Amino acid sequence: MDFSIDSATQERIEKLSELGREHVRPLGIEADQLGRPTPPDHPYFEKLVGMGYGRTRYKGRKGPADSAKKSSDRSKTKRMGRSRASLLLSEQMSYWDRGVAVSAPGPGLGEGAILSMGTEDQKERYLSPFIKLDKPRWGAFAMTEPAAGSDVAGIQTRAIKDGDNWVLIGNKSFSGNSSRSDFILVWATVDPSLGRGGHRAFLVERGMPGLQDFHIEKKMGLKAYESTSFRLEECRVPGENLLGGEAYYESRAGFKGAMATFNATRPLIAAMAVGIGRSALDESLAFARDNQMLDDPRIRDRLERVTRKLRAARLLCLKAAWLADHQLANIVEASMSKAVAPTAAFEATSLGMELLGMVGGRGDHLIEKLFRDVKAMDIVEGTGQIQRVVMARQLVGLPHG
Amino acid sequence: MFELDPGEDITLIVDMVQRFASDILSQQYRDFEADKALPEAVLNSYAALGLGAMELPETLGGAGLGSRAKCAVLEELGHGDPGAALALDGIGPALYAIAELGGDNALENIILPRLDNPAARIALIWDDGKPQKQHSLQRTGDQYNGTVPWLPCSDADLLIILDRQGASVVDSGFAFTPLKGSGLRAAGAAEVVLNNAPIIERWDKPAAAARALAKWQLYIAALLVGVSRVAADTSREYAMERVAFGKPIAHHQALAFLIVDMRTAVDSSRLLVQDAACRADAGQAFEEAAATAFVEAIESALFVTPNALQIFGGQGFMQDLPLEKYMREARTLGLLAGGIDLAKEIAGQALCELDSTVELSALALAE
Repeated sequence: MDFSIDSATQERIEKLSELGREHVRPLGIEADQLGRPTPPDHPYFEKLVGMGYGRTRYKGRKGPADSAKKSSDRSKTKRMGRSRASLLLSEQMSYWDRGVAVSAPGPGLGEGAILSMGTEDQKERYLSPFIKLDKPRWGAFAMTEPAAGSDVAGIQTRAIKDGDNWVLIGNKSFSGNSSRSDFILVWATVDPSLGRGGHRAFLVERGMPGLQDFHIEKKMGLKAYESTSFRLEECRVPGENLLGGEAYYESRAGFKGAMATFNATRPLIAAMAVGIGRSALDESLAFARDNQMLDDPRIRDRLERVTRKLRAARLLCLKAAWLADHQLANIVEASMSKAVAPTAAFEATSLGMELLGMVGGRGDHLIEKLFRDVKAMDIVEGTGQIQRVVMARQLVGLPHG
Repeated sequence: MFELDPGEDITLIVDMVQRFASDILSQQYRDFEADKALPEAVLNSYAALGLGAMELPETLGGAGLGSRAKCAVLEELGHGDPGAALALDGIGPALYAIAELGGDNALENIILPRLDNPAARIALIWDDGKPQKQHSLQRTGDQYNGTVPWLPCSDADLLIILDRQGASVVDSGFAFTPLKGSGLRAAGAAEVVLNNAPIIERWDKPAAAARALAKWQLYIAALLVGVSRVAADTSREYAMERVAFGKPIAHHQALAFLIVDMRTAVDSSRLLVQDAACRADAGQAFEEAAATAFVEAIESALFVTPNALQIFGGQGFMQDLPLEKYMREARTLGLLAGGIDLAKEIAGQALCELDSTVELSALALAE
């Protein structure tokens, strides 16, 4: 019904703030200075798991489906909608450090696709270790390729049926956390000429022969998590690792599986951008206050503008999440939030740099790091341009292709 | 608390106003402009909707509805014709100055006697306290002198002059001279000259004056959202029909992107208006939020309405279509309530006074 925060979510946000101040931000700064992701055996990840982070939404096979449903209905009325709650938590985590936020253990971006498309056995096998983590564990998602970014229909990684098995051949880029993951949800095509209709997703497990050449990219910012490229060199995957099983693809739903994942996560990414922007704004205000710059009406006007744009972006994110919580169509709103928030946040960091003046050029101020971090937010999960294409398809019937 | 879903009561009211706006206002807007007034029949049929007292407290016979409801109504009226909206709501935002500064007593004495008269007019005027400007007001002792260069009304029987410190009530010593007007002509247009106009009541309450201004800003912002929305929708629909270079112009990416950005601007400003209104209704501080909503509503409208005209090309410039009117209405609405720079200053000052983290919306991330 409304955007207010229930006490449980409020409590989680406060807990997160403590964690953020003590661990998340310092870790982000450390990774930035050292130019490497936080290593998987870092005690921070143990701590996160101990605090209950990284868990899957999958409830497990056990227990009658009925009672699980009832209890989730009950908690729905008591607690704020799931989308809005996770949105605010994402924003808060990114306020402290977005790179560290993404490095957190958990089933990763593939979780949504596994839940919506996966067989019961696949959910049990790949998600149940994340119901209550015995140790830091990661799952990963690999769609992007050197020659296929936003145009996912153009992926070239081949999936060739060989008896009961599949053989995967190709290269994947910019896959978050993949070198440390138990499994990677890899998207491939049985025939590139079929476009989306040829897409298949595979659960590729760590150690499978042919999954190799992991390369952790050097990035401008967000260094705390790994963006990894890897090669599938005739990687042989058992037939049961085809996400959803053969039957699923007979209805040509392969591509939709991926898009469903994105539809739910675009407002989350937008909220992360808001978090970075808010962080930059707070730092900028503090700097301006400490340096007696707030008497200048030009500076006040620019701070006003940045605050206003972030505020609008935050409201657009919440609206998209609110619609999702009410199971209402949110394609336009999800894209709108994602189109708007990264540029609003970029502007916040860039204004911060201008307020810093020559201090910004030193390269050792938090705002300078945020300025480098934030740019990725307008690229991941669909660039701002792609979001406009998605919206235009809805609003003016812009043809595909 | 921010309510995205306004609830059943408001939804019913909005539906009713939407019908009124589309059946009457959107049909007759050129006549209103030419006459610089609304026919009595239109004034009466709006009065029959019973919204005149929607914001008055129930103890004074009102409906006790808040800003959220009022803004929803104003958005629909603005969608129909914002000039007509000002004419239909003759007491208009002056209500806020009277309520915030004068309290229930003033509401009883000033508002109640005028409620049943659809032709009653109270003009709300902003005194920016800059007497060095050519067209300006000077308050000396208990008198007002000077010129208000433009008001979107042809006459009024009472003036409420709001400034940062408080408000003054003036009921004589002034004269309205009709003007052509740039936008909002349906409401009338006049210059007002005050000549030793006696201040019959003076309220010095800066905090209350700030709230009154904030509600005025919200009022105008809600009208602006309506104008932006109708301009964005009208041009979007046209762009899907008009063909150039072998396809609908909306399918050329330069326009497709522009059109989605226009929709985004409308949604952003509407959400900011709703956010500020919900804060006001919840009894929270809302002055900064209202100023923010006002600035965004103006900037959005000045992005959306000229581009809506642009999409229509030469036709948009012609007065056969309402596009040119949307642009004039947007521009002139944004001059009211003290203008955009005052609002920026209010929001900017509020930021400077913060010593904690910036709060972005009604759902405060309370520390």
